[in-house]
Amino acid sequence: MSRVIRAAVFQTAWTGDKESMIQVHEQAARDAAAQGAQVLCFQELFYGPYFCQVQDKAFYEYAEQIPDGPIVKRFQALAKELGIVLVLPMYEEEQPGVLYNTAAVIDADGSYLGKYRKTHIPQVEGFWEKFYFRPGNSGWPVFDTKAGRIGVYICYDRHFPEGWRALGLAGAEIVFNPSATSRGLSGYLWQLEQPAAAVANEYFVGAINRVGVEEYGTNDFYGTSYFVDPEAQFVGEVASDKETELVVRDLDLAKLREVRDRWQFYRDRAPGAYEPLTAP
Amino acid sequence: MATSLEPTLSVRQVLSLERVLAGEPEVVAGAAQLDRPVRWVHVAEAADVGVMLSGGEMVLTTGVLLAGDPEAQAEYIRSLHRAEAAAVVLGLGRAFPAPPEVMRRAAERCGLPMVVLHRPFPFADLTEEVQSRLVRRKFAAVSLSEAVRTALTGLITAGAPLQQLLDEVAGHSGCPVVVTNLAHRVLATAGERSAVDDVLRDWERIARQAGGNEGDGWIRAELGGRGERWGRIVLCGYRGDAETGRLLADRAAEALVLHRMLGGAVHTWEEQSAQSLLTDLVSGIVPARQLLPRVRAAGLPVNYRTFVPMVVRGADTGRLDRVLRLLGLPGLVAELADSATAVLLSLARDQDAEALSAHFATRLRTEAGAERTVVAAADARTAWEDVPAGVREAQHVADAVADSSAALNLPAVVRLKDVHLRGLIRLLRDDPQVQSFAERELDGLLSRADPDLFSVLRTYLATGRNKSRTAQLHHVSRPALYRRLEAIQALLGVDLDDFEQAASVHIALLAHDAQRG
Repeated sequence: MSRVIRAAVFQTAWTGDKESMIQVHEQAARDAAAQGAQVLCFQELFYGPYFCQVQDKAFYEYAEQIPDGPIVKRFQALAKELGIVLVLPMYEEEQPGVLYNTAAVIDADGSYLGKYRKTHIPQVEGFWEKFYFRPGNSGWPVFDTKAGRIGVYICYDRHFPEGWRALGLAGAEIVFNPSATSRGLSGYLWQLEQPAAAVANEYFVGAINRVGVEEYGTNDFYGTSYFVDPEAQFVGEVASDKETELVVRDLDLAKLREVRDRWQFYRDRAPGAYEPLTAP
Repeated sequence: MATSLEPTLSVRQVLSLERVLAGEPEVVAGAAQLDRPVRWVHVAEAADVGVMLSGGEMVLTTGVLLAGDPEAQAEYIRSLHRAEAAAVVLGLGRAFPAPPEVMRRAAERCGLPMVVLHRPFPFADLTEEVQSRLVRRKFAAVSLSEAVRTALTGLITAGAPLQQLLDEVAGHSGCPVVVTNLAHRVLATAGERSAVDDVLRDWERIARQAGGNEGDGWIRAELGGRGERWGRIVLCGYRGDAETGRLLADRAAEALVLHRMLGGAVHTWEEQSAQSLLTDLVSGIVPARQLLPRVRAAGLPVNYRTFVPMVVRGADTGRLDRVLRLLGLPGLVAELADSATAVLLSLARDQDAEALSAHFATRLRTEAGAERTVVAAADARTAWEDVPAGVREAQHVADAVADSSAALNLPAVVRLKDVHLRGLIRLLRDDPQVQSFAERELDGLLSRADPDLFSVLRTYLATGRNKSRTAQLHHVSRPALYRRLEAIQALLGVDLDDFEQAASVHIALLAHDAQRG
């Protein structure tokens, strides 16, 4: 029995200012809704540049309260108007000096469902994230939205299989992985890790990467956003490596059951043997 | 006919050469390994021959330094094995009257083919024979490589399109050749049509196989340069030996990279691919159904879809592609003749085709510099076979409004029902009676050949004889417009305030424009 969800991800380039960036994303939500998309996830830190190429506290200003800040409110209204679930990867300020790399999840009726805070924070050339973010402490929430059970795993998180599995155990059907990643660095991983996670955890993954080179460094963000199914098949084509693109795909969630009936990874895993993995 | 090199010589083939048979060869160990390739033949009597080898050699010896020393005999075999020798050939007689058991056992254990020659045999005969064959083969490979490279370079310097390069490669490979981008979208193909279609029919599954296995004749070479990969070329089911296939694929990849980097083509390979598809589709030369595998492989979803054929004037393919991406709409874009561009949207069955075409057209027309963009569409089609007629209908609509788009106050998407009389006239434009009617009605104006008066008349009639709108569109004052209208009426000998006379001139003008379009 098929259960098709029309899901979308959006990749774009930094416009140069926050307000126009927000407007580009509002338009993308309208475009997605016009196609009947039921859920849409934006790229990591969606309304800003990827400022982690430099270490400058001026960018702390990009952080907002979640859910009480203006951007969440603005997109709650939009989600309600369009009847679409929105996943908003943002810079979050819990209180001054306590900042996270977060994604807020808004249901199709505009209600705020909760947030996921990025757990693994990198600190390497071009990705100086520890300067900006505390490691997340939200655990592995899965949000029961109108478009299905949705998890979020942000950018560098994707290199760690444990979180993917935790989201699967919590019942995620689609996991979005909003990212900002650069051509030379991760090109060989981009179409390997998320499909592998989709196979290992038997759910759909939506991977999003921004496009273009920004004024704060030499990172060449290579887009190529995509959806991949639990058999590691891309759903339709992957997006452009240079252009702004809205990716709208029909995901048949019945495939989860089909694949899980074939491969019983959840039954056969052996948590009792994994103690060494959680030793500090 | 595929180009191919003689296959590499194997141990078995060397042993079956006539000059070798004269030595009465007998395989005494490693019989399962006789298909190993022989890279070279080496005569050596040294006990430590292993250190002199670099792999793939057939070693010939009389064993004169090994006689009477079982430990040295076993070590000799082991050292050959470690050096990855292809085989050892022992001439019986001088040192060993019969195959030495120690060597035989050692060879058997490590799977090294061991051959004894029962009759005295000049080793030089064997080396000469084998080595001349090996050298000939090497030379043939170099010369094939050079021939292919020269042919492809010649095509590139002559400015040949991608397709011609691929046809040349397919001529050598004798199997379908496919070029894809990194998203596995098929950009171009060459080879025998039905074989290509067979490959494309199952392209999704084939293309997504990670890594791929070359053992079945699928030979891939990456395309890229300046640190960036763009796609790959695949020889699909090459039947010759793997080495020649690899050589062809590598030469082809070099040529394609050069072709792209020299940037001779105005259009990207993606654009060229869509163009050849839509051209074939619209021309009707190839039945629509037969094009389905190509269309699917080019990335357009075709199962359970609604197709919206559109023709756009005043927007180039790059802009149309960009707007489609921006809106997340799957579609093919290709330039047609007369600065019109075809767009074929593929929508899910549950989507509102009319609303989404309007959404696309509105977005296109709100962009800067797009005021004159006209988007014409045919009604959506659910049967693929109906798509060519749909594209022709959209083209007809776009042509019908081409001359007066600004004056007509057109909707975002123009359809057949919006072109009214001008659509009909366009269909009748080749009728001689219509042509002579147009000549007769417009005679006074045609003999003056004043383009400005023609243009004023066209706008005046298209706006429904709205004088202020006409003056505005022509950037002239109303008195200036009146003077021109009077001049036109005088030249034509008609009263444009009279409905029937005005209608007659209007029809004649539409017919006149349709003949030129």
